[in-house]
This record gives sequence, structure tokens and C-alpha cells, in this order.
Amino acid sequence: MSSAYILEQIANGIILGSMYALIAIGFSMIYGIVRLINFAHGDIVTIGAFAMLASVVALNAPFALSVVIVLIVGAGVGMLIERIAFRPMRGAPQVTGFIASLAVAIVIENLGIMTLTAQPRNFIVPAWLSTFIPLGPLQVRAIDLTIVVMAIILMAALALFVRFTKIGMAMRATAENYNVARLMGINIDRMIMLAFANGSALAAAAGLMWGSKYSQISPLMGLIPGLKAFVAAVIGGVGSISGAMLGGYVLGLAEVLFVGLLPPEYSGYRNVFVFATLIVILLVMPNGLLGRSTEERA
Amino acid sequence: MKSMLSRVMTVAAVIGLLAAAPHARAADPIKIVALYNLSAGGLASIDGPSLNGAKLMAKQINDAGGLLGGRMIELTAIDTKNDQKEAATGAKRAVSMEGVVAGIGHSDTTFALASAPLFQAQGIPFVTSGATSPDLPDMVGSEMFLACFADDVQAHAMAEYAYNTLGVKNIVMWTDNAMDYTKGLSKYFQDRFTQLGGKVLLNDVYMTEDKDFSALVSRLKANPDAQALFASSGPDTAGIIIKQVREAGIKLPILGGDGYDTDLISTVPGPDLSDNVFFTTHAYVGLDTGTANAFREAYQKAYGNPPENAFAALGYDAMGLVADAIKRAGSTDPAAITKALNETSDYPAVTGKIAFKNGSRIPSKPVAIMYDDHGKVNLKTTVTPGG
Amino acid sequence: MEQRSSWLAALTAALFGAVLVYAATATLDPYVLSIVAFVGINIILAVSLNITNGFTGLFSLGHPAFMTVGAYVTAILTLLPARKTRLLPDLPAAISHMQWPFLPALIAGGLVATLVAVIVGFPVLRLRGHYLAVATLGLIFIIQGLATNLDGYTRGALGLNGLPELTNLWWVYGWVLVTLYVCWTLKHSSLGRTMLAIRENELAAACLGVKITRTRIVSFALGAFFAGVAGGLWAHLVTLVTPTSFTFLLAFQLVVMVVLGGSGSITGAALAAAVLTIATEALHPVEEAVGLYGLSQMLLAVAVLMVLIFRPKGLFGMAEPDLLGWIGKLHGRQPTRSGSKCHREV
Repeated sequence: MSSAYILEQIANGIILGSMYALIAIGFSMIYGIVRLINFAHGDIVTIGAFAMLASVVALNAPFALSVVIVLIVGAGVGMLIERIAFRPMRGAPQVTGFIASLAVAIVIENLGIMTLTAQPRNFIVPAWLSTFIPLGPLQVRAIDLTIVVMAIILMAALALFVRFTKIGMAMRATAENYNVARLMGINIDRMIMLAFANGSALAAAAGLMWGSKYSQISPLMGLIPGLKAFVAAVIGGVGSISGAMLGGYVLGLAEVLFVGLLPPEYSGYRNVFVFATLIVILLVMPNGLLGRSTEERA
Repeated sequence: MKSMLSRVMTVAAVIGLLAAAPHARAADPIKIVALYNLSAGGLASIDGPSLNGAKLMAKQINDAGGLLGGRMIELTAIDTKNDQKEAATGAKRAVSMEGVVAGIGHSDTTFALASAPLFQAQGIPFVTSGATSPDLPDMVGSEMFLACFADDVQAHAMAEYAYNTLGVKNIVMWTDNAMDYTKGLSKYFQDRFTQLGGKVLLNDVYMTEDKDFSALVSRLKANPDAQALFASSGPDTAGIIIKQVREAGIKLPILGGDGYDTDLISTVPGPDLSDNVFFTTHAYVGLDTGTANAFREAYQKAYGNPPENAFAALGYDAMGLVADAIKRAGSTDPAAITKALNETSDYPAVTGKIAFKNGSRIPSKPVAIMYDDHGKVNLKTTVTPGG
Repeated sequence: MEQRSSWLAALTAALFGAVLVYAATATLDPYVLSIVAFVGINIILAVSLNITNGFTGLFSLGHPAFMTVGAYVTAILTLLPARKTRLLPDLPAAISHMQWPFLPALIAGGLVATLVAVIVGFPVLRLRGHYLAVATLGLIFIIQGLATNLDGYTRGALGLNGLPELTNLWWVYGWVLVTLYVCWTLKHSSLGRTMLAIRENELAAACLGVKITRTRIVSFALGAFFAGVAGGLWAHLVTLVTPTSFTFLLAFQLVVMVVLGGSGSITGAALAAAVLTIATEALHPVEEAVGLYGLSQMLLAVAVLMVLIFRPKGLFGMAEPDLLGWIGKLHGRQPTRSGSKCHREV
């Protein structure tokens, strides 16, 4: 196995990881604030992809504008979901919120199937994204580079926002301690909405990247990536944004490298490896890589 | 125990629902049931058109006056939701409907295996439009018929074409391990290819949900002697495979089966990348005979777009085959229909003449080899493989 | 005193159920009969999941994995030896030559599932909450992956078809009774109370000397046993089992049944299972009539949402409603105050 081959696989892992990281961040943000897993997150990925397709085909918008549209649509859908499904569940046991988000996911998926049919569709990207760019010993495509760069920009923007702006600090405070934050006069409802909006915007962006990379989208496409991103978030430590980023890349690399470095007969075990990795990591570090222990003291 | 109450409620509710459901009308219409995966999963892109084709045939027959002196065909479509339990319960529901005389459906062997045995148990014939395993009639029984050719036929045809016509002596194979269809196709291809003298350099695997083929592509590149790639895949992954292989700069011919019969192989990679692809499918697209053309036009008129793939024609043919058998039997007794189906010797299907010879319930039909030239798919030739 | 009346009530109910099953088998058509059988199987699944999720508070999504294990083991054991050797070449000769009757095969399926649960449980059950959920979800994929790729043992993606249709309503009913009995006894035993204690406050329970890990594994394993049996029953009703027969969507549906019925309530889980199964099936003709496939799933999801918003504890919370108290009354005994011990409102 040549070094070029290994480098290629690592590059692929990073690209896949970028997408997982974006989706995982959304999971973690939402979990961090409302302590609920949003299973409809994967469907926001789907919505992002379709929004991109719609804006390019129906509105004929240029690429950059479409990206912005996708982010806005994602944020909007996220806030809608929060309002409809999560706000009424606040205070209920975890499992209830889990099921509520699952119900929302089912509604979105079936709406998609009923209106768009389950047929996969072609995804349209501007031609310049398909050109090859030599990068050292590798040949990467512009789209792959764009994905990684866009992901890094978005994650950096989020990190800066959360770290240095007042609202960002308010969000962190809410995640840290819900009740005290309220006592400090922070508008909890607004913070939660913001978390959903941010997380969902990132997920929608991931959807557009996914569609661009694989050129095929369908109403159910977000299910598996959403699930794997959930795994990534858990690997990194649910509730921690940097954990989600790390988890996403770990998962992407693990998935690609397992299939790439092991003999071909094992390629069918890709998902087995993904979940086995998860279990192993959780066994060694029960709160994920960067998660904080949330032990309840009596 | 508390379960008793729930049991009472269960039975009462079920009986209540049954009572409320509209009663089936007696005798007059000819009831046929179609089982397809319409709302979920990777088969929707071929099951949907299959149902459309079947509905079109039923409508055409009804418009022309029906069968057996004016009886209309009543086609009920049951969605099996890409779930085996649904396929089984849907089939149970179908055979429980009063007056059902035949069933058609399914484009995948796994689902045919879930539904067809229920028809078999009731002695009602089941004609699959697109499930292509050659073992189906043996696995299910005497009521199982195929309107399409079987995978061994199409794989042999491709193997012969590749070896004899394209001159491919060394090949790399990719197989979707999660679908029995793709595994069977690869197996039959490999059998005939090696029998002819060809060599399989590498047998790589993936699963249907996988979208990332970078590792397989890299391993393909590491085999410089390979002259072609046989990628056994269903409709949802075919386009993705072509795209990633071509993106990596590999220009080798890509060979596939009827799972490639979808416009996704042209649209997903785009016209630049979708090139030099050969696949086998049910011989129809290029047949500019009267029936194929008429079918295409009728489909366009009824649904606003040309038939998406050959499976639309297969659905049309399955329905037509059943109707033809009913006509020849002169009755709607399922046993008579089965007998008439067995005697089919010359049904002019859109996808090629259907005849069940020598007690086989799989038609021996010619295989069309399609060629994808920069996004344009055309018939290259028709092959009838050696036995 | 009220022990006897509740025993009598239970027996009467079981007998009445048997009468109903007899009537159903004699009168209903095969389709409706199969739906009733699926209701029964879902009851077994929901009630057994209740042990793991409801009583002990473990957020387990692993039931489909155990169903797969149980279904395959049962199917392999009931297959004709001739078919076994032909279809499953890698199977050890000892197994290939055996053919077991239904009951031992089912129990074997359940036991193997239990074994898997115990093996997997040791490492995995140390996790909490969502981490456990994801790990058990992962189990589904791992088992699916193994079943698909080890095709010498399992026939891979095609699965095992043409299974003898051994499941009928009597088998399902019998196992429903067994499951309900076991769960009922468990809930009112000291082991059951231990589980409930773990769910309520693990730290306090540990301080009181409860062996946390062991109890969690027991509860996980018990749930897995019945899931395995249910899988075997399922496989011999559909006559087909493949690696994708039991998906994570099923896991969610089961969790929905448990939560809607009230985590910890056996009656609730059973009722929810029955209602949801029937509702899903009943909505199919509606879907077909309108041509909007996917409508039934959507309506159910919306209904679930409504229930969760307006009654978040589920139908019964943790209580077991005293539905059969009237039978006790008929026998001339007053339902004493301790007879209503079931009404533990939490």
C-alpha cells in the first residue's frame, strides 16, 4: 500500500469527517442546552440538500447565494421544530423528548415521500466545483476542498461566536446551568431557539455538501448520516461542541480507514466497524473523548 | 390478568374495523392485486414505474371493453414499504380479499420471497414483474411466474459480450453484499466469465447504503491489468459508482446489470463522467417495434413523462401476461389461470416474447446490452446467451 | 386474602382469553388472524422492553438485535437438515443434522439472545442515558452486519426463506401469557423493586447495597430472552428472516409503545402495543384509497406527538390499573385496600 494511497484515504476521511462534524455539532448544541436528542436533525440535512437544489434550479441563484439560502432555511426549520415539538416537552423525561423528535422526523420524511416520491434525484453543482486540484501527491476535487474549507469556516465562526460574543456566552451559561442562567436574566427561550437555529443551519450546510459530493439526493438520505453523526457526537462527548468536531473527524477517518486499509473481504463490515469503534471508545472513556462527567450528586 | 381486556379490545376492534370496511363487490370485476415498495427504500425508483405500467395496461384493457365479455379489471395496489413484514401481511391481506384471482409485483427477490408464498398457499398465481432470481420458482412453488428474464441469463449475456465482443480478459468485480440480487448477478457473471477463460483479478464488496467508494477505487487503481470493472449494483448506487470511478480518472468500461436501468446513471455523474458504461436490461428500449413504441407513447400520455426505465414496461407486461392468461383460460378461476400461464407460448410482451417452455416458469427472453455514451443511453445489441 | 382473588381473576382472564383465541382461529380470515398474531408478538416485545427500559430505566434500543439473533437461531434449528446442508455450508455438522421441534427451538433462540445480551451487557451497560442508547443502537448494526456478511452460516442477504409456518395464535397467546406472568411476578418481587430503585435513584440504591451492575445485566438479559423468542415467532409467521428484518425503526416503535403506555406499566405497554399495531394496519386501506403512501406513518407520528404533549407520562405512568377488580367483587370478596396496591401513582 503506497503512501499516496494512505494519504488519499486520510483525505477522504477528513472530507467525510467534516460533514459528520457539522451535523454532530448541531446534535451537541441542542443536547447541551435542552438535554434532548433531536432525531429530526438528520432530516434537516435532507432539507438542506433539497433547499440547495431548489434554489439552484428554481431560483437560478448563484452558488454563494444558495449557500446563504440553505443556511437560512435550515435555521428556520430548526426553530420551527423547536417550537412545535420541543418546547412542549421541556421538563419531561429524556425519553419523551427523544420520541417527540422521532415523531417529527417521521412526519418530515413522509411529507417528503408524499410530495417528492422516494425516487433519488440528481443534484446539480456548478461546473467549477468538479475540477481537479493537485495537492502534493494527491489529486483533490474542488468540491472536496470546498467542503473542508467551508466546514472549518463555519465551525470557526461558531466557536468565535460562542466564545467571544455576549449572546454566545449567554448560550454557554444556559447550557452550563439552566436555572442560574434564568436567574441572571437570560432569556432562555431565545437561547434555546438560537441553539436550534445554529445547529440546524450547520446541518443544512452539511446536507448541501453531501449532495454536492455524491450528486444524488432523496427524501431519506439524511437518516444514516444523522445516525452516524449522533454516534460522532457521542464519541466526542455529547454536549461538547469541540467534542462533536473531534468526534466527527474521528468517525470519518475510522470509517474510511477501516475499509481502506483492511482486505476487501471486510469492506462489507463498514457499519460494524463504525459502531464497534463507538463502543470501544465509550468503554475506555465513558463520557466520550471530551465530555464532562455529569454525575448527579445526591 | 390485564391482558384479557386488551385481548377483548383487540378482537373487538379488529372485528369492528372489518365490519366498517366496505364489502367487496361480488363476481363482476376481475380483481388483481399489485404489491410494490412505493413509499420507501431503494426500490421505489423501479417499483413506482412498474406499478404505473401495470395500471396503464389495466386501463387500456378496460377501455377496450374488459375481459371475458365485459368484465373490468380492478387493480388494487398495496404498498409494502420496503419492509418484509409489510410484504407478508400485505400479501395476506391481498389473498384474503374476496375474489382475488392473481397477484403481480415486486422488483426484488427478497420481497417476492416474502409475498409470493402466501399466494402459493392459496393456489393463486403470482407473476413478478422484476424479481430476477432464477431460483424463485423453485423456492416458492408452482404458482410463481416471472415476467422478466432471470439473473443467470443476463449475467451470462454480459459475460459473453465482455469476453467475446469487448475482448476483456481480466476484470475487477464489485458486489453489493447486502442484496441477494447483486450477489447472484456477480456469481453468475463470474461463473460464465471464468468458464470462457477470463480472469477475475479482484472481488471487492460494499453494502447498499455505502456512498463512499474511495477505498474500492484505490484498490481498482492498484490493479493495472484490469480491463474492465463489473460493478454489480442496484439502481440507487449505480450512478454514484460511475461518478466516483470516473472522477478518479479511471476510463475502463464499467459493466452492470439491469439495476443500472435508471436515468440516475446519466444524471448523477453528469454527461462528462457518465461514459463507457455497458449494462444489461430487459430488451425494450431500443425495440422500435409497434408494441414498444405504442407503449412509450401511451405511458407518456398517461403520466406526462416517458417510461423511466424498463421496469415500467415489465409492470405493463406482467399485467398483460395475466390478462392474456385469463383470456385463454376463459375463466377467472385461479387454477385455470395458472394452467393458462404455464401454457404461454407466444405472448408479445413489450420486453420481448414471453414463453414458458419445458415446464419452466421463467421466460427465455433476449437480453439487451445498453451503452452509455456521455449520458446518452442507447441499445448496443441484443444477446441471447448460450445455455 | 386478596392473593387468592387476584389469582382467580388472573386464571379467569387467561381462560377467557383462550376462549377468544379459539373463537378467533375458527372464524377470522388468515389476514386478520396474522394481524392479531402480530399484536401478540408486539405485546411480548413491548412488555419485555418494559423490563429493561421501564423498570430499570435503561435506555435500550437493542431489541431488534436480539430478535435477529433469536429468529436466526430458531430458524436454523427448525430447518430440514437437507436444506441446512445445502444453504448453510459453514454450519458445523452437528447442527446441520439436527432438526428441532418448535418449542425447544424458540427457547434456544431466546437463550442465545440472552447470552449475547450478557456478553455485550458487561461492557455496554456501564454507560448511561444517551450513551447507552447509541451503544445498543450500534448493536443492531453490528448484528445486521454480521448476519449479512457471514453468509456461510446465515445465507447472507437473502436470509432464510420457506420457513415452516409454525406460529399460530395459540403459540403467540401462550408466550404472551408467559411474558406477562414473568413480568408481573418480577414487578412485585424484590428483584423488581431493586430494578425500580435503580431507575429512581441509582446512587441511593447503591448506598443501600443494591448490586447495580448485576441487576442491570439481569434486566437486560431478561428483556433479550423474550425479544429472541418473539423474533423466532415472527420468523415463523412471516416464513422469512433476513438481516434487515428487524431495523432500528422497529426499535423506535417499541420504545414508543413503552413510553406511550407508561414506562413501568405492564398493562400500559401491552395496550399501547395492541392499539398501535392495529392502528397502523387499519390505516393502510386509507392510505391506498388516497394514493398517498406514507400517510399512515405520518398520522401515527402526529398522534404520538399529541399524546406526548398532553399526557407526557403515557397512559398509565407506572401504575397497573385495577381492571380486573370487578372479577374479585363478583366472587364476593371486597377489593381490600391492599388490593389496590397496584395504584402506585408516581
